[in-house]
Amino acid sequence: MPWSELAVGPGTWMLLVAAGAAFGMDAVSWPQVMISRPLISATVGGWLFGDPEAGMVVGAVLEIYALRHAPLGAARYPDTGPAGLVSGAAFAATGGHAMGALLASVVVGWALGWIGMVTVHVRRRLNERVLSPAADLAADPGLLEHRHRLAIWLDGLRGSVLVASFAVPAILVAAVAASLDWTSLGGVGVLVLTLGVAAATGSAARASSFGVRGWPLLVAGAAVAVLLIAGTSP
Amino acid sequence: MPLPSDRIKAWWRCFAVQGSWNYRTLVGGGIAFGMLPMLRRIYAGDPVRLAEAVQRHMRSFNGHPYLCAMAVAALARVEQDGIEPETVERFRTALRGPLGTVGDRAVWAQWRPACLLISVVMFLLGAGPIASAAVFLLLYNSGHLVVRTWAFVKGWEAGLAVGPLLKDSWIEHFTRRLWPLNLLMLGGAAVLLGTRLVRAGAPAGLEAPLLGLGVVVALWAFRFPKQGGRLAGALLLLAPMVWWIGDLTR
Repeated sequence: MPWSELAVGPGTWMLLVAAGAAFGMDAVSWPQVMISRPLISATVGGWLFGDPEAGMVVGAVLEIYALRHAPLGAARYPDTGPAGLVSGAAFAATGGHAMGALLASVVVGWALGWIGMVTVHVRRRLNERVLSPAADLAADPGLLEHRHRLAIWLDGLRGSVLVASFAVPAILVAAVAASLDWTSLGGVGVLVLTLGVAAATGSAARASSFGVRGWPLLVAGAAVAVLLIAGTSP
Repeated sequence: MPLPSDRIKAWWRCFAVQGSWNYRTLVGGGIAFGMLPMLRRIYAGDPVRLAEAVQRHMRSFNGHPYLCAMAVAALARVEQDGIEPETVERFRTALRGPLGTVGDRAVWAQWRPACLLISVVMFLLGAGPIASAAVFLLLYNSGHLVVRTWAFVKGWEAGLAVGPLLKDSWIEHFTRRLWPLNLLMLGGAAVLLGTRLVRAGAPAGLEAPLLGLGVVVALWAFRFPKQGGRLAGALLLLAPMVWWIGDLTR
């Protein structure tokens, strides 16, 4: 679907913002069923704009990048729910084929993930006030329940504001990228992205392994995939 | 004594245990929020002791969110058993470490990547996006629900004696077997994804050299994961710039 033919109704935008709230809440606040993973949120973004396959391509790249981050303690990590949703929607909205749009969507998604992280940090600080003073909340448990639920809704609001603020700019960036001519250096751009995926893979693999002795398995998995590809290529 | 309906409400609230997560009390507010349906029953008609219990459990606490269900249930049990507050506080402190370590190693480091990679590999091998996403959500959340429910039920049953349940638990035994599979799938997923990207937009004939270079980069990032992560981010930013500059200079 060319950019010029993109026509989505207000219902789609409302669904996108509502999904932003759900994905914003899911990662930490409620219910942590992992719809906030970029693989899922980008697929939903693509689906809302008519091309879930395009969304999942973006989501797969973002997922490989996100795998090395674990929410341990007070760690800071990209907020990939709203970011994946926006980037999946951006790539699907621009047709889901142009490599320039794919590169732009992935970069926008990753950048938005880090912006989201800043908003998560602000929310964590805000929650300190939401739960104060502790003595008053303990004396009135109903107030504690109210404040706790308020904090969850604020997280949802955070996700929806992120999506509402960045969806249109992200789609515009992807559309501009899709409309530019594809040069030989564009191919080099894809190669650079692929090497980035390789680096993210190695880093994520270490987070999932116990020590450094697992690297032969990583290579073995790559070898199996090469054999599969060779077996299915014409 | 909390009724079964109180325990179900508390179990359900455990899904929102991190709802008010903050740097001061971490998940403490969520623990108290989760325990409230049971605490109200335990201290029915005694608002002073209820307030004291709520304040006790609003204090700083941390743990893996799924295994916090065990803390919610076990702490409610010790309140029900009339254990003195000093012991409750020591018990809370003792729970923090194991609940975090077991959950982080089992769920975040193994179970979640395993389910995600199954879904990614399925998609890259030709399964539809909706089916691949559904497989991830169903598979992952089946384990998620089992862990949360097991943690809550065992926490309530064991009370102060939950320690042995966490030490060398079945969760760790099960997920410890996943890491070789995760590494295999991660290596495979990277090659499948890279091939898909390269075939869509890179100059022909570069697949083999790129594969070799990609393996070197991945192994270097495996050896030096922090630097590898930074390199991945830098390459991600560089990719569209290379292409854009090429377009401008054409």
